[in-house]
Amino acid sequence: MMSRTANQPKARPEAVPRAAPLDHGRWVPAFFVAPVALYLLVFQGYPLIQEFLLSVTSTSLLDPTKHAFVGFENYRELLLDSEFHQVLRVTAIYTVVCVLASIGLGLLAALLLDGAFPGRGLARALVTIPWAAPPVAAALIFVWMFNAQYGLFSHLAQFLGLSSGGTNWLDEPSYALPAILITTIWQIFPFSSVVILAALQGVPSELREAAVIDGADRLSVFRAVVWPTIRPSVALLTLLITVWSLRRFDVIWLMTQGGPLGETNTLVIDLYRRAFVYLDLGRAAAVGIVGLVIAILVTFAYFWLSLRAEKASGKR
Amino acid sequence: MIKTHTARLIAVLALLGVAAFPLYWMFVTSLTPSEQLFSPSPRMLPTLSQIATYADAFTETSLRLWLVNSLIVAVGTTALSIGLAVLPAYALSRLDFRGKLLLGFALFMTQMLPEAMLVVPLYDIFTQLSLLNTLLGLILANTAFTVPVVTWILKGAIDGVPSEIEEAARIDGCSRLGIVLAVVLPLIAPTLAAAAVIAFFHGWNEYVFAQTFISDDTLRTASVGLASFVGELSTPVHTVMAVGIVYTLPAVVFYLFVQRYVVAGMTSGGVKG
Repeated sequence: MMSRTANQPKARPEAVPRAAPLDHGRWVPAFFVAPVALYLLVFQGYPLIQEFLLSVTSTSLLDPTKHAFVGFENYRELLLDSEFHQVLRVTAIYTVVCVLASIGLGLLAALLLDGAFPGRGLARALVTIPWAAPPVAAALIFVWMFNAQYGLFSHLAQFLGLSSGGTNWLDEPSYALPAILITTIWQIFPFSSVVILAALQGVPSELREAAVIDGADRLSVFRAVVWPTIRPSVALLTLLITVWSLRRFDVIWLMTQGGPLGETNTLVIDLYRRAFVYLDLGRAAAVGIVGLVIAILVTFAYFWLSLRAEKASGKR
Repeated sequence: MIKTHTARLIAVLALLGVAAFPLYWMFVTSLTPSEQLFSPSPRMLPTLSQIATYADAFTETSLRLWLVNSLIVAVGTTALSIGLAVLPAYALSRLDFRGKLLLGFALFMTQMLPEAMLVVPLYDIFTQLSLLNTLLGLILANTAFTVPVVTWILKGAIDGVPSEIEEAARIDGCSRLGIVLAVVLPLIAPTLAAAAVIAFFHGWNEYVFAQTFISDDTLRTASVGLASFVGELSTPVHTVMAVGIVYTLPAVVFYLFVQRYVVAGMTSGGVKG
């Protein structure tokens, strides 16, 4: 078959329509797509509708079949609930810092690993270790490292004279979120670096060399040659990391369960707590829907901005 | 010139140190005698004579059972995800049909749904289907989250296959299904492998569903087993860390071997697509 392709390129245009009836026409796409469409309807679409319906009822986990329709009361109370305002604030800080820090660190790592040096292949592989580690394992080791008496961070803080020891970051309202952020960023920055590293391969090296010969310093080479090439990848990373941060559960749940004093209580943690600690399924579902709406808005903003950027660069 | 070279090497070493240290520390902790775990100055090197801790990890916990369950879930998730994703990936890449845009949109939407959000309604569905407390239930729930990603990555790879190759096969009288299975799949084998790895890791790592849907101790997965030690005090710390290493290290080593394909697959399909 393969050799024929090479030998008869001209036969193509007429041959296609003749072969078409073998497809049994328009049923092919339906046959190809139906299983996955059905699967997603059952395990994503239907649960999502159920979740929305729950959010307009008052339902307890103790008796989940008994629903009392309350309209948008759950949403109204969330808007007035100062604890929920804290949830939104914590989620925003967590998401923004995750995006900025993991892309910044990822970019730095990618630029470091881009040049030629001995053992580059090995270094590129090793840097992905955190991304490959299961989140539960990451939570376990970081909880141990943050331990008040015996944890490494505590030893380090004492050694540097920053504290007299005995502080468990995860129990301190002002340190718990930074501790969670350190753990998360450690886990996800390799992903950014791998994606940016791949994008860097698209930077034309002649262009870079020409800029260097012209006497451009590193920063202006980066701005003029490197950044325009990797910008679409960085934009996509921003979207992916935002959406992933909005839904991250395991690391935060295992390290703090949203505490202390709600300082690490993101939307997803709040949703889980309301459902399984306070047994309030209706309010929990409303939290979930609010989170989903935020994720959708972020995604639309991304597509709108990248469409605008595309148009702008097309005009040039 | 030499100066910048050395500076880069030092920076790279620092970077790798940050990346690898927590797992190294898990390993060191697993091989530290109990009395030294709580000493004021931490030991930075493992005590190799403590290797019996790893035997304890298997005898004092249900580690072996947990690993088998995790393996079943991960393999099942991989097989089902790939099986479900190949044909729609081809359709999204090559065929024109009504609702194509809608399908693409729905696949992307799933990326925004947190697992924790669907736990309650899925619990309800699984109760009705008698899938609670079964590994099959976990496989089905995980696949709902991996199938969109896998489809997207495979679509990206199929986009890169020249359609001339397929047309030659069509002249020979191959059906579309035959073309996909016999012509397209072999050509995208590296991406297929990458997608399989991604699905496998999802199943191996998954925690929320395994924690909520499984109450039978014999069906616990390793993620839930390990999580049960977080903040718990009755199991010795080094035994817990040994369990952590046994759960983590095979995954990390496996990933280091295949990461070249994963990176290529993610960047050609998932990210650029």
